[in-house]
Amino acid sequence: MTDDRDVDARLAERIRAGQAQALGELYDRYAGTALAVALRVVADRSEAEDVVHDAFVAVWKKIDRFDARRGSLRAWLLTVVRNRAIDRVRLRRASVDLDDADERSLLRTGPNPTWEDALQRTSAADVRAALAALPDEQRRALELAYFEGYTYREVAEVTGVAAGTAAGRLRLGLAKLRESLAGSAGAPLSTVEAVLSEDIGR
Amino acid sequence: MSQISCEQVDELAGAYALGAVERDEDRSISEHLATCDEPHVEARDLIGAEAALAATAGDVAPSPGLRDRLMTTVAETPQEHRPQAVAAVTPPAAGAEPSRPWWRMQPVALGIAAVVLLLVIGLGAWGLSLNAQLAEREDALRAVANADAAFAVTGSAGSGWVIESGGDAHFVADGLAEPPAGQIYELWLLDAEGKPTAVGTVDDPDSLVVVPLEQDLDNATTFAVTVEQERVEAPTSAPVLVASLEG
Repeated sequence: MTDDRDVDARLAERIRAGQAQALGELYDRYAGTALAVALRVVADRSEAEDVVHDAFVAVWKKIDRFDARRGSLRAWLLTVVRNRAIDRVRLRRASVDLDDADERSLLRTGPNPTWEDALQRTSAADVRAALAALPDEQRRALELAYFEGYTYREVAEVTGVAAGTAAGRLRLGLAKLRESLAGSAGAPLSTVEAVLSEDIGR
Repeated sequence: MSQISCEQVDELAGAYALGAVERDEDRSISEHLATCDEPHVEARDLIGAEAALAATAGDVAPSPGLRDRLMTTVAETPQEHRPQAVAAVTPPAAGAEPSRPWWRMQPVALGIAAVVLLLVIGLGAWGLSLNAQLAEREDALRAVANADAAFAVTGSAGSGWVIESGGDAHFVADGLAEPPAGQIYELWLLDAEGKPTAVGTVDDPDSLVVVPLEQDLDNATTFAVTVEQERVEAPTSAPVLVASLEG
């Protein structure tokens, strides 16, 4: 059975070779998810479509910098979409200057395939259920950070807690989400929780 | 924050994975993870979480024109690693009618030297890809062995060759893009007047395509490939592959 990542890897090679049709195929695969992410962040359909358009153009232009060993093409694309969307929101809030969101997307593309493996095996509904099952403060922190584009310091300000606590909620929330999706692989959650309880207590 | 400790990296692992750190922290953590001897297992495990949160956003159908807008932009946008090149064949902009059909346009002639050079390169590439399919390999090798001329075929669907040998002609390609679901590639020869003649189809491109053309190249100046719903008498779409047959 062909893995989505195999299909994406072949698309990446064809895009690298200058085949515009391959980018069209990538669009057909992921435009719906990309638009959903952008729309959730910028809350304006026209602006969200601009973000999606610009993100696919960025993938076209910068494909030679993409390294499939460091993550999937889907993950990179969606990170570009989300970073570009967040930069627009942050610009509105004037909390940061715009810089190259795509550079950060590449840096943060990780070598660990756990999330992608988990997503291959689970549905979007499963992921939503796993997110919904988190304690409210952790889910809220994740949503503020991912969809609203807040930094952990801003999450702390919005939710009225210390910056270390906000960072801890993001860390523990993601660790639990990962454990829900990936089973027992990776660092044991009990270890993470023990460390976090010390961090948050400071 | 130019320097950051291992402890700080671990504390900020979740925020970093979501891009929810300040710019200087983001750079510092990236540099730290790239150079630190400590494994930072948890921090590395959390990277990639964005893919899961993206999945919770669901799916929203884009406006019908967005794809055409994107493809028009891409056709005019060079890639960083190929600054002199753009997509070899560009579809017409959405809603824009060209002043005349593409097959009426003058092909760009390739020089004899370029054809010879490309033939040599092409032979090397074929040698790697022909092992899988014996019958097609024999057809292709026979065409190459007796080749009188070879013409490079390029475009957004991939690349290939038109080989002329002993009065026959073959279209040979390796790794063509799959046509959209339910559609086929149709092959065309165009004369000097720009009149197209259908000379074959490719229904299901696999790793290697070898198609005998249904007409010789005597009166043809251009070879082209379009995507069609079924075999038709005149092209209904812009070509995805083209080759000049004038040397």
